Amino acid sequence: MYKETAISLRDRFLNSDLTALEITEYFCNRAKKLDPQIDSLLHSLSERAHLQAVKLDKKKKDGKALGKLAGVPIIIKDNIQIHGEKTTCASKFLENYVAPFDATVIKLIEEADGIIIAKSNLDEFAMGSSTEHSAYKTTKNPWNLSCTPGGSSGGSAAAVCAMLAPLALGSDTGGSIRQPASFCGLYGFKPTYGRVSRFGLVAFGSSLDQIGPFARSVEDIALMQEVLASHCPCDSNSLNHPKEPYLDELKESIQGKKIGIPYKLLEGLNPEIRAKFDDALDVYKSLGATFVEINLDLINYSIPMYYILAGAEASTNLARFDGIRYTTRSKKAITLEEVYELSKTEGFGSEVKQRILLGTYVLSAGYQEAYYKKAQKVRTLLINEYQKAFESCHTIALPTSPGTAFKLGAIADPLEMYLQDIFTISANLAGIPSINVPIGFDKDNKPIGMQIQGPQLDDARVLRFAHHFEKEANVFSHPPLFDKEVK
Amino acid sequence: MSGPPYDEFEPVIGLEIHVQLNTRSKMFGPEPNHFGDEPNVNIGYIDTGQPGSLPVINKEAVKKAVNFGLAVNAEINLESTFDRKSYFYPDCPLNYQITQFTNPIIIGGEIITEVEGESFTFQIEHAHLENDAGKLIHFPDFAGVDFNRSGAPLLEIVSTPCMRSPKQASAYAQAIKAIMEYINSSDCNMQEGHLRMDANVSVRKKGETTLRNKTEVKNMNSFFNMELAIEAEIIRQIDFYTQHPDKDIQSATYRFDLERRKTIIMRTKESADDYRYFPEPDLPPLVLTKEYVDHLKEDLPELPQDRYKRYRDTLQLTENSAMQLVNDKQLSDNFEEGLKICKNPIAFCNWLTIEFIGRIKDTGKTLTEIGIEALQIAQLVNMIEENVITGKIAKKVADDMLLHPGKSPEDIVAANPDYKPLTDTSVIEAMIDQVLKENPDSIEDFKKGKDRAFQYLVGQVMKSSKGKAPPEKVRDLIKKKIS
Repeated sequence: MYKETAISLRDRFLNSDLTALEITEYFCNRAKKLDPQIDSLLHSLSERAHLQAVKLDKKKKDGKALGKLAGVPIIIKDNIQIHGEKTTCASKFLENYVAPFDATVIKLIEEADGIIIAKSNLDEFAMGSSTEHSAYKTTKNPWNLSCTPGGSSGGSAAAVCAMLAPLALGSDTGGSIRQPASFCGLYGFKPTYGRVSRFGLVAFGSSLDQIGPFARSVEDIALMQEVLASHCPCDSNSLNHPKEPYLDELKESIQGKKIGIPYKLLEGLNPEIRAKFDDALDVYKSLGATFVEINLDLINYSIPMYYILAGAEASTNLARFDGIRYTTRSKKAITLEEVYELSKTEGFGSEVKQRILLGTYVLSAGYQEAYYKKAQKVRTLLINEYQKAFESCHTIALPTSPGTAFKLGAIADPLEMYLQDIFTISANLAGIPSINVPIGFDKDNKPIGMQIQGPQLDDARVLRFAHHFEKEANVFSHPPLFDKEVK
Repeated sequence: MSGPPYDEFEPVIGLEIHVQLNTRSKMFGPEPNHFGDEPNVNIGYIDTGQPGSLPVINKEAVKKAVNFGLAVNAEINLESTFDRKSYFYPDCPLNYQITQFTNPIIIGGEIITEVEGESFTFQIEHAHLENDAGKLIHFPDFAGVDFNRSGAPLLEIVSTPCMRSPKQASAYAQAIKAIMEYINSSDCNMQEGHLRMDANVSVRKKGETTLRNKTEVKNMNSFFNMELAIEAEIIRQIDFYTQHPDKDIQSATYRFDLERRKTIIMRTKESADDYRYFPEPDLPPLVLTKEYVDHLKEDLPELPQDRYKRYRDTLQLTENSAMQLVNDKQLSDNFEEGLKICKNPIAFCNWLTIEFIGRIKDTGKTLTEIGIEALQIAQLVNMIEENVITGKIAKKVADDMLLHPGKSPEDIVAANPDYKPLTDTSVIEAMIDQVLKENPDSIEDFKKGKDRAFQYLVGQVMKSSKGKAPPEKVRDLIKKKIS
């Protein structure tokens, strides 16, 4: 059962081949047995999952209509609020924080009869590219346990990769869904900014954050997006755009469509990745697509831009974690100053502190003009550059990550770590949809990924291009270590 | 020894007034915007800074802000934006305030009001929407935070440095309060802190055209105290310049100590926070259409300045009376109610503002709270006008009305024989004859042209009738008899 996609599990449940309880128990047990090898999960929600499963079985018995995710086990990144459950953001600071409300995405999933079985590990407050910045555990890559699954949504990626569930949610601020999807050989989708509600997602960079799914098939991604992509009155940036039949739209041909390639950016790319990328383009060629060269030179500035803008937003978003209300207060603190200072010192990890400091600096009087405001201007130029590029092509293809999964502990220099995101950040800055598509493996059998990006609100087009590649190339596979039943 | 030369200096004052808008829910969340409940009951996700919570702009607050803008002839910004203002304090749950720093909703505008009989036009620089903080409650060995007020919608109205005296500042602030009440944008309950004022104060030698350093006197919630505070700060600054003619005062923030009648320094500008304003990424620009603004403009109620003009020009009230009524929306509404039946607006105004308000001044209550309807006061005035009772008796009736709220003046008069006017001319004539007989000197004086003697005689007759004789009639009869 573990290899089943979400759609096939749902269909087996609907056809009475499996009960929701059987599915739930199976995956909860599998997670319990296998997760210790990869440390992808922070909390099991098996009780909640059982209650939902019982409810679904009854609903089915009573002949009531069932939702799109009926009986599908789902894992949620631990920076998304689930009412009554802990939300730690992998931070010591929120060790005891219990969510007082449901994120909109959680409501939508449970209304669609999905079964949430666990919450997954991440870099603290989603800041990182390897899950090594989690205050609780470091997640391992199911393809190679000595390597990172990527980050910050590394827990969700590793869990879907190890087949602990067919679907998981992550959040993507600068590549935090696509890079781990690439490292784990999965489909990972960052929708158009505003397409999925951020209400209940613990904010990192508010103007960049998007929730999106991980899956082992594009159809499952489309299924989840049919559930998640809707207007939310609780998120002022949520787009008021009708729901879309993503699954139906997957089938439309891409014959004669143009794919833009920013060839200049590919110069100097790791040859192994370049070779697989070129192979992937050949697959598109065989599907009848053509290629045009596009200019996305400003991507070269995307890392400084991103660390200024995301840092600025994060420095204020994280200001609420102060030791006053729900965050853990330092036991040594006596005065108000000490409550702030010591609680933050003890509560935040070093990467988070670094970004708060950076963000505070770029917003400070005398520096804001040179950093924050300039970065905003360059962001506008990047958006213009993308718009211009999309005048000559339907989608854009580019690598997801400059390398494959690296060894845990191999990258100590933060700047080198930040370079992980060179190809992914621009989609967040421009607010456009982008998906990671697995395109093969390197010589060490570690997955390689490619991104397909589309214009704002053309999420369906991006998924369609990914789906056609998936069907034609047939390179997706499962990590051998986890391609087995457990007792 | 002579004191500092106060006359040589001119104060320059600007006000920042925070008005709490009387919306049903908070500025960025659905929780009730309500004062006076148990701590931490009207709280929500955003107002307690829960992670994952997001702000959503309250449309009612926007409407109330736009109405204010229209009422003061300001420009309504059709695309205003919000910013984050960072500072750490336990009553500020996000540790940033969501405000409109660079691009506010209301631009410009003017307040026309009278100060000691002279008309002034004061300029508003801008007004912006923001959320209020919670409140710290101090206990002997710890402090707690009540977040009920957290997220309450505020309109901060910033004037230009256009005022030149504490009285002007107070008049400007009272005019803003009146406007807010007339357009129903705020309850303006001063005790509950619905209207909080900061004053920017500087002084300069008369004739100087540039501004000297200013100080800010923070957080005043009574007009009277504000006048005292500004006065004290002006004196402090003039004293400083007198003692140190070559120095500048230090820009700083002060609070007012009412008991010592002194402004006390809180912090200097050098140690001021860097608020690190930047655009609020959770909120897109607040876009309004011209149609929306035009529609609100059509629905605007009568404004205090228009009502003032009507009272002064049409009803012929004195400027003072008109201002007193207009500045107190409830009183003015009472007046409007009574006007529906009252035949003499000037007399009615006097009875309302002098006789009745004078009688209840010390209770701290309003007429409505006591249970006196304006219509009843209007009835009382009509009874005088129709000679049903005399003015003197009316005062007694007024006392009774306050003793027995709800009773109409007609019923009070009907029930008390002493309040019935003397209508029998022969009885009045008998009284007059008696008075004339006892005061031959006064008759002589009157004949010599002394008007006061005549008034004295009228007074004596009124006295012997216990005020029940109609004074007009008494006057006519005396004149007939002695001339």
